[in-house]
Amino acid sequence: MGPLIVNEIISQNTNLFLAFIIGIGFGFVLEANGFSSSRRLAGMFYGYDTTVLKVFFTAAIVGAVGLLFMSLFKWIDLSYIYINPTYLWSTLGGGVIMGAGFILGGYCPGTSFCAASIGKLDALAFIGGMFIGIFIFAEGYPLWENFYNAKFLGAPLLSDYFGASRGLLTFLIILVALGMFWVGEWAEKKFAREDYKLNQ
Amino acid sequence: MKARLILASTLIPLGLIIAAVPENTTKPYKLTADELLEEVKSGTQFIGPDQVADMVISKDRFLQLIDVRSAAEYEKFNLPNSINIPLVDILNTEWEGYINQDVKLNVFYSNGTNDANQAWMITRQLGYKNNYVLQGGLNYWAETVLNPEAPASTSPNEEILKYNLRKGAGMALGGEAAETAPSIDAPSAPKPPVQKRAAKKPVQGGC
Repeated sequence: MGPLIVNEIISQNTNLFLAFIIGIGFGFVLEANGFSSSRRLAGMFYGYDTTVLKVFFTAAIVGAVGLLFMSLFKWIDLSYIYINPTYLWSTLGGGVIMGAGFILGGYCPGTSFCAASIGKLDALAFIGGMFIGIFIFAEGYPLWENFYNAKFLGAPLLSDYFGASRGLLTFLIILVALGMFWVGEWAEKKFAREDYKLNQ
Repeated sequence: MKARLILASTLIPLGLIIAAVPENTTKPYKLTADELLEEVKSGTQFIGPDQVADMVISKDRFLQLIDVRSAAEYEKFNLPNSINIPLVDILNTEWEGYINQDVKLNVFYSNGTNDANQAWMITRQLGYKNNYVLQGGLNYWAETVLNPEAPASTSPNEEILKYNLRKGAGMALGGEAAETAPSIDAPSAPKPPVQKRAAKKPVQGGC
């Protein structure tokens, strides 16, 4: 039956309304997990707090398993799911810029709004910087247009690349994720800071 | 620590199940019975023989004629550049690349329209695009393109024009009209050469 919007089971407006509800839920979960704290987010890079890794990877593997089961029960047609196309160089370049901003500012774009909504001033400064970046990117677009569109790979799937079924690949990713959680918690002990307390 | 154990004990079994079950590759039906009936009633799947003849003559590389009769019948007679996919064989994965694509315009034909229509209905229900049916089948093709019946000289000009076009097409496609070059006593109708339609209209209906 799904996706609901493609198969016209719900209208565009209902879709936007559901997106609004889901967005609020997303913000709530981010805030509830302490993602509005730049110290917690930056902790990912120093190893003293790996909550970011755990939350996002848990979301990814639960989402992957959920989609595959829904496909198995014929609730959703996976061929309709939009997969973000890959432009290799701009993906790498964007990753580096995003990562550098993440370490420097202590937020990623979503969490900065999350933190601004509970009144954090450094988050407001981060959002200001983000808009400056957006402005520079948009106004200077002709300068990096070639780089931006270079090395287009379509929408490659890891499962196709390895020749494995989606289910098998998901299972392997679950194992890898759980392994990373284990390493993460080891790092939290190893790089623990006296002035920072994990709240879990 | 405990959270990780709960997570692991939930997700690992689920992951094992999803890794073990075969992937669901069945495509859901794209049309309800009502929608299909509506298409059948309005006949959007048909392409007239004139248009097909025109495309064959102009060697339109987007046209793919598909003969859904048996291989024996196909051997006896087939349209130029057609391929043979017998109706009983249409779900064979070997042919999927031909009937499930979005580049060419597939035209199914059989002697009448029954078999071609059945092939169209199956592919339509599978959600494949760009499949059509030769209107009237080969019988009507022979009647209209290969051996067109000359209209009476008192017919309206359009009729005579259509006849001339068909006769030209028939000659190009090896019909009987090639053997004789009858003159038509229709002074009011200039005899145009076979001409390609300048602007090819996109096929009506379908996807």
